[in-house]
This record gives sequence, C-alpha cells and structure tokens, in this order.
Amino acid sequence: MEYAIRTENLVKKYDKGFTALDGISLQIKRGEVVGYIGPNGSGKTTTIKILAGLMKPTSGRAYVNGIDVVANPIEALRTIGALIEVPGRYDYLTPHEMLTYFARVYRMNHNGIDRRIKEVLEWVKLSDWEHKKIGTFSTGMERRLVIAKTVLHKPDILILDEPVLGLDPVGIRDVRELIRRCRNDGMSVFLSSHLLSEVAEVCDTVIFLSKGEVILSDSIVNIGRSVEEAVLHVKFLKPLSKEEIEKLRTVELIRSLDVRDRTALLHYDGEPESSAKILKLLVSSNFEVVSYGMKSAGLEDFYVSVMGDEKGVN
Amino acid sequence: MEIATTRGNINNAVIDTFLSFRFELVRYLKSKRLLILGGLAIIMPLLFLLKTVNTASGFAVLALDVFGVFIVISAAMFTGDAVNGEFERKTNLLSFSTPQRRSSIFIGKYIAAVLATFFVIMLFYLTMTLQMAGLYGWGEIPAELGKSFLIALLSAAAAVGVVFFFSSLLKRTMASTIVGALFIMWVMEIVRIIMMVVGQEPWFIPTYSAELLKNVLNTESILDLAPQQMFQERIQERFGITLTFYEPELWLGIAVLATWAIVGFVSGMAIAVRRED
Repeated sequence: MEYAIRTENLVKKYDKGFTALDGISLQIKRGEVVGYIGPNGSGKTTTIKILAGLMKPTSGRAYVNGIDVVANPIEALRTIGALIEVPGRYDYLTPHEMLTYFARVYRMNHNGIDRRIKEVLEWVKLSDWEHKKIGTFSTGMERRLVIAKTVLHKPDILILDEPVLGLDPVGIRDVRELIRRCRNDGMSVFLSSHLLSEVAEVCDTVIFLSKGEVILSDSIVNIGRSVEEAVLHVKFLKPLSKEEIEKLRTVELIRSLDVRDRTALLHYDGEPESSAKILKLLVSSNFEVVSYGMKSAGLEDFYVSVMGDEKGVN
Repeated sequence: MEIATTRGNINNAVIDTFLSFRFELVRYLKSKRLLILGGLAIIMPLLFLLKTVNTASGFAVLALDVFGVFIVISAAMFTGDAVNGEFERKTNLLSFSTPQRRSSIFIGKYIAAVLATFFVIMLFYLTMTLQMAGLYGWGEIPAELGKSFLIALLSAAAAVGVVFFFSSLLKRTMASTIVGALFIMWVMEIVRIIMMVVGQEPWFIPTYSAELLKNVLNTESILDLAPQQMFQERIQERFGITLTFYEPELWLGIAVLATWAIVGFVSGMAIAVRRED
C-alpha cells in the first residue's frame, strides 16, 4: 500500500547533542486527516521540517506519496503544500505578486494562475486585499495568506504546523472548514496543533509524540470510546423541582446524581442498555428532556493521561 | 531517457533561477532600495557640477574617487540579505518547502544583486558622461571611460561576491552588510598598508585592483593633494616607516577582481545550500 506520508526510523540529532527525533515511524493513509500532538520540543516541527524538505534527517527515511524527500526533494515537494511555524512575510509585495511567484515555481498553467489566486484568496477571505501590501496585514491576515499559498497548487498532501496560530475564532472556524474541504477533495492532511479541540474536530487519527518518540497512535473514535465516563449528561427544559429530583433518586439504574439548575449528571453502570432504559424512564415519567448523552472526558483529559504532567499544551 | 531527465532538471533549474532573480528584483523595486541607490548614483556626479578641473578625464577621475566607496556600499546593500535574509525573516519556511533547489533560489538572488549593482554603476557612468559632454563637449570624453566602466562592473562583481559570502556565513543581515563592506574597505585596506610598509605589492587586494577604474584614464586626481613623494616623506618623518607605492597591472587586476567574485560566490553558495535553521 502506498501511503501519503511514511517515515522509517526517522532520527534527527542536532549539533549540541540534542535528539529531536528518536526513530519516528509514521504511516498515514491517503485521504486521512491525522493530528500530530505533543508538548513543545517533542519533535513535531522537526518531523514536519524534514517532510517539507527544510531539514535533513540524521538517519532514517521520509516519503511523501512514495517519493523519498531526501533523495528526490523536488518531486516530493511538488505534491505537498506545507505551512510551517510562523513564516516571514514579503512586506513590500502584494498577495497577488507573492502568489504569482509561487504559482510559477509550481509550474501552474499561466492562464489559470490569476483565477486560482482569486479562488484561494476568496477561501481565506482576503479577496479585497489582493493588491494591497502584505506589510500592512494583521497577524491573522498574514496567516490566512500563508494558508492560501499552501493550497494554491492543489496539493495531494497538506502539512500544517499550528495552522490556526494567531487566528481569531472566525479564522479558526474557516481553517477547520478549509481542512474539511481539502479532505472532501481527497487530500491527506497532516496537522500538528496545540489546540486539542481543533484536532478532535477535524482529524480521523491522532498521533501522540513525546521526547522524539511516538507513544500512541489511534483513531479519534477509539480514543473517544476510551475516555467516555459512566456519566450521563442530561439537560431539561426547566429547572428540576425538589419532587422531580427525589423522583430521579428512586430510579434504580441511577447510582447517584448531581443536579444544577436545568442540568443533571447521572452516574450509572456505563452499559449502553442501562443508558437506553434510563432515557425511556425519564420520558415516560414526563421529564422534559432537551438533550441526553454520555459525558466524555475529551481529548484533553486523554492527552494528560497519556503524557502525564508534560507541559506545553493549551 | 536519463539524458532527457538531466536536461529536464537543468531546464527546471534555469527557470527557477530566473523566477528567483525576477522575484528579487521586484523586491528591490518595491522596497525602494533600487530607487534610492539609483538616485544617489545619479546625484553623485552632479555634486561636481562646476568645471572644477580642466580636462574631462580629470573630471571623471575626481568623480570616480568618491564612487569607489559607493560601489562597495551598493553591493553590500543589495547582497547583504541575499542568504541570511531568508533565514532571519523566516521566508525560507515559504520558499524552501516548494519544488525548487536552494541553489536555484540563491543563484537567482546573487544574479539580481549583481545586476542591480551593475544598474546603479551604469546610471552613474551615464550621468557622468552626460555631464562631461555638457561641460567639456562630446569630443573630450576619453575613450578609456568604457574600459573604466567595465572595470567598475568587475569591481562590483567582486564586492557582491565578498558580501554574498558573509551573507551565507553570518546570521544577521545587518552584520553581513556591515562586515562585508568593512572587510573590503577597512580590513583589506589595512592589509594593503601593511604590504606597502613591508615593500610588497598588494596585488591580491580587491580595492587595489579596483583602482584600475581610475588608472585607465591616465590622469591624476586633484584629490591627490599631497603627491606620493611628499606623503612618503611625511610618514617617514613622523612614524619612521617607509611606504612603497604600487600601481596595479591591468590584466592581473582584472584576474584578481574576477577571482574575488568567483571565490566569494562559490564559497557563499557552498555554505548557503547546507545551511539549516
């Protein structure tokens, strides 16, 4: 099987003896959206820099679309779009000038360059700024422009290192939409992020990295299952009366409960059948249920359980 | 098949070099660097508006006396950020992750710096020629001015080569710009004086060879107020040192300048393509 991204025992040692990557082996399937998570200094950016041809590994191999990045960087880089850290900006140029240059580097068809530039600038909501100097841009706009550059040539693989850094909530939502759009277009996305909620929202799989080593790799679905607690989160239409709370206490399947205003946390045995029975009972007892679901500990709690007390995640 | 691939790679490298060169020129234009230095190149000969000397050659030598320093400054301004600027500004994160060789990017930048400096020199010589024509008449313009122009271009290429090397070697653009310029104007000059003291011709010093751009006009500058002999005597009197004056030979000087240009460029490239964050 040909993977979108594959690495074999990737090792990167810096001059001062620091080992940034200690035998990383990754296999990312085509069309997959993979989150790459780890604390600061865990080796995320180093991996991405090697995949994007910015750095050479000390040993090991890295392939994108089956092409060796070190042996054949030009061919490999043609198929990827990479956003790494916070790149600098060409202050005196306009987005149009900058993107035209990169479009030519990617050997895009000359007739289609202007159209494509307008298209990507519209995606990142910079259409009105196409001919304004980049030097006048805010951090968020700068970020959007770099994202536009990353998808300009319709790459097969997107490699994104902290793509939402410096973006406002609307910008973050737009990037999420963009990643979804890319996935729908069949692109593979390799996403390194500090924002675990972001990763949980858009990724199929998550790879946890610590001190230059992969410590866990699993699907978001599996991770979600493993962090579900035996607690039901129920929201009612109105705040519960004392009688209603007492009524809930009498339900045999509910071991204990915490009620606050219109919300109740019902502790039970965690079995799906029990959950279904409790819901049935609530409805038949005329409780006006607005929402009902299992409380999940979330990726953040899972991260802490996997990484321990390592710092560096927001 | 292999030959076709090699040819394809070469074609791609040429296209990428051209793209990088053009992109850099646009940057020079937009940042007004080219405009400012070009403007200064035009203004400089105009500072000598008056017919200060009797001959057109004398006028040219006078103007070129000042212009030597300007060549070095222009080369430093255009080349100082050629390599380290990419890393310092972090634009390498944008350009190096695209399908082009770093060598193509840097060769393009080097060519842009060379041609921008050439352009500034051309403006200077053009303005100076027009001014000489106005002051002395077209017939008085020395034929050797063309030779002087070509040597000025070669001097500029040597200066660009040296600064390019420092741009690859040093981290900060400000450092490479200043160190590059000072290396040529001060360090090399100090070595030159030491050579003169010990009675050795400083043939390998680029600024020494660059004097050819005046010497080919075969006219003394009025700025040489103290003739060499008098200067020698004063130095002898005050410091007890005997200075030996030399004049660069045309072909050796040309060879020296070309060598500085090539060595600076090649060694700069060797460092630049290996450089990582």
